[in-house]
Amino acid sequence: MATISAPVGGAQLERPKLQISQYLRWSVDHKVIGVQYGVTALFFFIIGGILAMLIRAELLTPALDVVANGQEYNVLFTMHGTIMIFLWIIPMWAAFGNYFVPLMLGAKDMAFPWLNAFAFWLLPPSGILMLLAYFIGPPEAGWTAYPPLSTLFSGDGQTLWAVSLHLVGISSILGAINFIVTIKNMRPAGMGYFQMPLFVWAMLAQAITILLATPFLAGALTLLILDRISGTTFFNPAGGGDVLLWQNVFWFYSHPAVYIMILPGFGVVSEVISTHSRKPIFGYRAIALSSLAIAIVGFTVWAHHMFTSLTPELRIPFMITSMIIAVPTGIKIFSWLGTLWGGKIHFTGAMLFSLGMVSMFVIGGITGVMLASVPFDIHVHDTYFVVSHFHFVLFGGSVFLIYSAIYHWFPKITGRMLDERLARIHFVLTYLGFFFTFFPQNLLGMLGMPRRVAVYAPEFQGLNVLVSIASFVLGASLLILFYNMYISLRRGQIAGPNPWRALTLEWTTTSPPPAHNFIGDPVPFDDPYGYGTEAAKAYIDAIERRLGPSAPLSTDPRRHEAPVAVGD
Amino acid sequence: MNVRNPNSSGRSSSAIIWIVLAGLAIIAGGFLIATLTPSLLPAQASAQAVEVDELFRFLLTIGGAIFLLVQGVLAFSVVRFRARAGDTSDGPPIHGNTTLEFVWTAIPAVIVLVITIYSYQVWTTTRAPQPNETVAGVVGARFAWTFTYDVAPEDFPADVDIAQLPENVQATLAENGSIQLVSNQFHTYVGQDVRLEMVTEDVIHSFWVPSMRIKQDLLPGRVTEVRFTPIEPGVYRVVCAELCGSGHGDMAGQIVNGNLVGGWVIVHPDEETYRREFLEPETLSVLFPPEDPVELGRQILASGRYPCNTCHTLDDLGWVGTIGPSLNGIGARTQRLDASGHPDMETYLHESIRNPGAYLVPGFGNLMPQFNPEPTQPNYMPEADLEAVVAYLLSQTE
Repeated sequence: MATISAPVGGAQLERPKLQISQYLRWSVDHKVIGVQYGVTALFFFIIGGILAMLIRAELLTPALDVVANGQEYNVLFTMHGTIMIFLWIIPMWAAFGNYFVPLMLGAKDMAFPWLNAFAFWLLPPSGILMLLAYFIGPPEAGWTAYPPLSTLFSGDGQTLWAVSLHLVGISSILGAINFIVTIKNMRPAGMGYFQMPLFVWAMLAQAITILLATPFLAGALTLLILDRISGTTFFNPAGGGDVLLWQNVFWFYSHPAVYIMILPGFGVVSEVISTHSRKPIFGYRAIALSSLAIAIVGFTVWAHHMFTSLTPELRIPFMITSMIIAVPTGIKIFSWLGTLWGGKIHFTGAMLFSLGMVSMFVIGGITGVMLASVPFDIHVHDTYFVVSHFHFVLFGGSVFLIYSAIYHWFPKITGRMLDERLARIHFVLTYLGFFFTFFPQNLLGMLGMPRRVAVYAPEFQGLNVLVSIASFVLGASLLILFYNMYISLRRGQIAGPNPWRALTLEWTTTSPPPAHNFIGDPVPFDDPYGYGTEAAKAYIDAIERRLGPSAPLSTDPRRHEAPVAVGD
Repeated sequence: MNVRNPNSSGRSSSAIIWIVLAGLAIIAGGFLIATLTPSLLPAQASAQAVEVDELFRFLLTIGGAIFLLVQGVLAFSVVRFRARAGDTSDGPPIHGNTTLEFVWTAIPAVIVLVITIYSYQVWTTTRAPQPNETVAGVVGARFAWTFTYDVAPEDFPADVDIAQLPENVQATLAENGSIQLVSNQFHTYVGQDVRLEMVTEDVIHSFWVPSMRIKQDLLPGRVTEVRFTPIEPGVYRVVCAELCGSGHGDMAGQIVNGNLVGGWVIVHPDEETYRREFLEPETLSVLFPPEDPVELGRQILASGRYPCNTCHTLDDLGWVGTIGPSLNGIGARTQRLDASGHPDMETYLHESIRNPGAYLVPGFGNLMPQFNPEPTQPNYMPEADLEAVVAYLLSQTE
């Protein structure tokens, strides 16, 4: 349990200067750790993104041209998938979770600050091992690493790949324990489970999923390493093993991992849509409980990834569970639409990306139900249809929501606003680039293009050129976000404590928050999304009177005078 | 406040009309999307494809309607409920509506139930065993497909006299009751119910014929099967859909200079054509193998019995692979003898097939499977086959 004493009341309120050195050393402050996670994840996002650009450059023509042979191409998408999942999306949610769960609970830190720092510091060595694997017979069996390709037919890099994922897994499990304990024990007086912000609910559901699922990844990786280096035959039929054992255990983790990657995003979109449309979230309990339902049902659907390898008789039960999980997901989408209905929608960067996510994620949801249908899945299994589906869910879902979270919370983390005009340009390019990168892939898959190939039938070139060009636009759009962050840190408008006039507790302290987060114990508003009432207005006005003014809501300069930047 | 509140009943009759109209437009839109899209699917060449496409159209109608519903509400909301300049007020404090939430839980639940039942029906129909199905074998090996057929004497051409067959062929026939045809294209005909029994020599492959809408993984240690019934004559590409290594993308039917190379399903219009153009000539070539080892070796390689064609180039047989070294003029490439330490080209070629990793041509990786002399070992290649193949390769001097 955190045993940090509260700072003396009336402590300094001026903004601390950005000190890069504090982020390069061991720190048990959850805010420092959050930023460390975030910057590390963004670094790997760039690496994974460059790999994606190389993949799309190769696919401009049906023949090999960018890479020398199929093996080099296999390395590209293996590293792309592994890095994006394990070193970008999962750590990025750990970043937001670390920074904001304690703040949203009015706590001074996570329950186990030292463990928190330890979990983060497992990531850099893991990332270094992953990159080193490139130089010693790189992994080329895809991020799914099916034996015997990954055991009897791959180089030593595959072993390093598995060791690296072991470290990520340990980091994830330790983080999840920390979140569960924090959320259970450190809520402020007056905040029951059903008064928690939905982001906290989502992090709780995610942490439970991580805690129950990740040990299975560890088990599978251990067996893989043993098969590779010590002559066991867990996955080798010649020695009594079974190649499907890997697929079952791997997907028992990796399907829940999809929810590990999207559930925190569902929390973000609930925060953002309610706050930026000035209206209470529609159906709070349904959203909160559907996160739990998704987490639980998510454990029963894994073998839909094995519809072409699983014993045919076993495929139908997994079709049924996979269909069921569409229901709680639908509840969320309809609840967000219900929230927007009748609200006052402000087109901030955060809101644009959340709206964009709802509109793109629904396509991923529809193709997801199609894929759950065994006979149709048989045709499009392991094709570009699947590539499109999971990018709609993981890019159109998770990454859009990471962007949304960045626009929403960057002012709290740095004390400065991001430029909203650049945010709109970023959104338009991302949205269009994304759609035209991934939607045509549905058609490619149905027409007969398998995934994971560097050479393809000439009739698919037209669509592939379209996809590649769109993907270059999508890649370039990221530069706008980085430029926006850079100029914001240099000379961005001072944010003040609560620029979005939000009701959750992270906005009841300065931006960035002081060392122990709050001056005194914050009192939560009885409904984190209780917009539209006099009480809510009075609560927000009281914050402003106590902590000073904030940057104006939306882009309207008339609401009140923006505070003057200091220190520049 | 000019906001439509689900709890208010003041304007409910006009609201219901709008909801019904919007619902009809959405369903019509779903149908429209579903009707226009199937032209983007590949040819419909099997009875299974017809069933699956009908299911797909159904899924697309529902999916299209949901798509239009969500995007429609989203688009309407962002236009109708955008905050006007200077408006800093909040929206109405509505926290939910139990009826509405029940409806949008129940309707999707019913939809997925219907989809599940329909999918189950299609699933049982498409894989139901047929009374007179023909069984053939599929062997996947990095990076080529091989098809095997057991041909019993009753399917031999009418003029074949079993007593006249060469002794070793008679022995095989006596032992197995049939002879085996090998081909790297799969021949069938319209209306033939086919069941394929599939094994892999190495890693997991996945047998996919997009035009037939069938796919099944080949798993080490197991025999897997897939069924289909062709309904349209034509040639249909076979594709490997499971990552199997560096040549994964090449493990698919290709067209090179107008010729079919690699895995293809060839559907003849009727049984008679199938027998005349494929079964009888191929059977005869196995029943009466060429005496000349060079000819025999050429026939073995051309049949696709061994997965050489994806990786090697050999103009004489129309091979264009680039994963391994070219075999054009291999018989004259004596400069390799010094590097590999073999006394003559015959030994060199023999050893390069029995133990390909021992000497690698510079610039190429150790990817070729080792072909073994014993039937109990993987990648079995009898000594007789090997001698014929080597004789043929030695004849390739330019």
